[in-house]
Amino acid sequence: MSGTYPLLMFAAVFAALLVGYPVALTLAGVALLFAALGAATGAFNPGDFGFLPGRLFGILNNQTLIAVPLFVFMGVTLEKTRIAEDLLAALSAALGRARGGLAIAVVLVGALLAASTGIVGATVVTLGLLALPSMQRAGYPHDLATGTVAATGTLGQIIPPSIALVLLGDVISNAYQQAQLSAGVFSPKPVSVADLFAGAILPGLILVALYLAWLMYRARAGASLPRGEPRRSDVSLLRSLFAPLALIFAVLGSILFGLATPTEAAGVGAAGALLLAGIGGNLNVTALRDISDSTLKTTAMVFFILIGASIFSLVFRGFGGDEWVHALFEGMPGGKWGALAIVMLVVFLLGFMLDFIEITFVVVPIVAPALLAMGFDPVWLGIMLAINLQTSFLTPPFGFALFYLRGVTPDEIPTSAIYSGVVPFIALQLLLLVLLILWPALATHLPALL
Amino acid sequence: MHAIDAITQAVGRVLAICFPIMVLLTAGIVAARYLFDAGAIAVQEAVMYLHAATVMLGLGYALRHDAHVRVDVLANRLGPRARAAVELAGHLLFLLPVTVAVIWFCWDYVAASWRIREGSPEVGGIPGVFLLKTLLPLGAALLLLQGVAETLRTLTKLRTLR
Repeated sequence: MSGTYPLLMFAAVFAALLVGYPVALTLAGVALLFAALGAATGAFNPGDFGFLPGRLFGILNNQTLIAVPLFVFMGVTLEKTRIAEDLLAALSAALGRARGGLAIAVVLVGALLAASTGIVGATVVTLGLLALPSMQRAGYPHDLATGTVAATGTLGQIIPPSIALVLLGDVISNAYQQAQLSAGVFSPKPVSVADLFAGAILPGLILVALYLAWLMYRARAGASLPRGEPRRSDVSLLRSLFAPLALIFAVLGSILFGLATPTEAAGVGAAGALLLAGIGGNLNVTALRDISDSTLKTTAMVFFILIGASIFSLVFRGFGGDEWVHALFEGMPGGKWGALAIVMLVVFLLGFMLDFIEITFVVVPIVAPALLAMGFDPVWLGIMLAINLQTSFLTPPFGFALFYLRGVTPDEIPTSAIYSGVVPFIALQLLLLVLLILWPALATHLPALL
Repeated sequence: MHAIDAITQAVGRVLAICFPIMVLLTAGIVAARYLFDAGAIAVQEAVMYLHAATVMLGLGYALRHDAHVRVDVLANRLGPRARAAVELAGHLLFLLPVTVAVIWFCWDYVAASWRIREGSPEVGGIPGVFLLKTLLPLGAALLLLQGVAETLRTLTKLRTLR
């Protein structure tokens, strides 16, 4: 199978993306132009577009993906009604006079709340606006403050219940089915979003623990970190701390124990977030309209990429692109590990340009079936990809998170401080990837118990 | 152009109301299942209908508010004229052909569904799958409409920047 057209398609998409036209339309537009070209030269059968309506309709009536707007709604509610802000204040107060208490609170809050918004840029900006000023006021060194915020902002990608994992779960599950079918297994064991959530728990906790360990080390050694603020009244503390935590754990728990589907849990979580906002007295018609409006924009954005990617992959397949990728991997030196290394490297580099959603919808459907057919565990592969991407978002000079953070950081903090601040966190990310390669059970053990 | 903007804005405002309803219905489904041991396929499908409507019909609204992600690493360094030129080229080469193609390729599919007034595959579901499928070309049409407005806007911008 010739790789000329698929390769050209990729090249054209990246060239077109760089000039800054919306990603979804670029994917679909380039695909359409190539389809027209291929139809003229006979390399592409325009009849393939007969599959288009069915595919697009499949996106609309996909039950799992309905979780996306509901999780977005929940995240936006927590963020816009000051629940997230209060949680941060309460946690840093709860950590009392411990050295570095505020930084630790930022990591914990980020881990819990960022999870439901799931879009790196938005999370980093929110967290930056929320936490950076107070960290600066408290006297944290620039590099540590910005490094903590950037790293924590990307944490939401892999800590369930994250939208990134919902999307990845959907894609990986299709890829796995495809790999099993082509291997002659006609009743493959399905991989669900819940599996991916369960698989992400241990690696996510380990990562948070590593971050915290690093902060505590910094708190003792070198520049000693400032202490937290003195305790506030315990009642208000308990309320703003306990309620959101209970909500997140209820959502996650009901999915993992099979009490509710991810979509149902997301709906209950969103209703719970509204309830919390109502109790806090921060919910009115204006706020609700604001939340709904921003949910609408985010939802349309996410699904439009899915639509664009689906048109792209339809044409890519039409040109024999997936067979080309398969053959490419088969011929890779180092067998399946060589193929994995290449994919991880490519995904890492793509992470400099594209957000999680685009990579999940465009790249993963193309490479994952081939990798899974080579015998990698689907949950493990999903988690590896997620952590790899998260690392990519943090890596200077192109990391996504850093650009967004720069945008909300006061000018007196030099960019070099942001860069040097994330280095230790990148090292911790890489350490986690190594741990996962050495002990794949970190990701695969919990899903097997479900 | 302003008329199109107004249509898109009105559609967006109506769609936004769908989310609180979806949240309440979904939470209601779970509550009903545990409290009354009752399932309701029609309610579940209603959530899906609302979801599909927000996804497809919201595309134009998101375009109007520039909510669709871009890769801005390099684009940030372009001048305003170059950016407007990119916009115009993108609208003409990508947006307009893609929306027309989606409408074109979905036409027969949707028409076939209308002819038989296609209902739900589930017993007790909403008998409106033909309407659900209609969202595909309808959403593309709204996006096309807003795309025309954006093209006109970009043209005006290019003229003033000269």
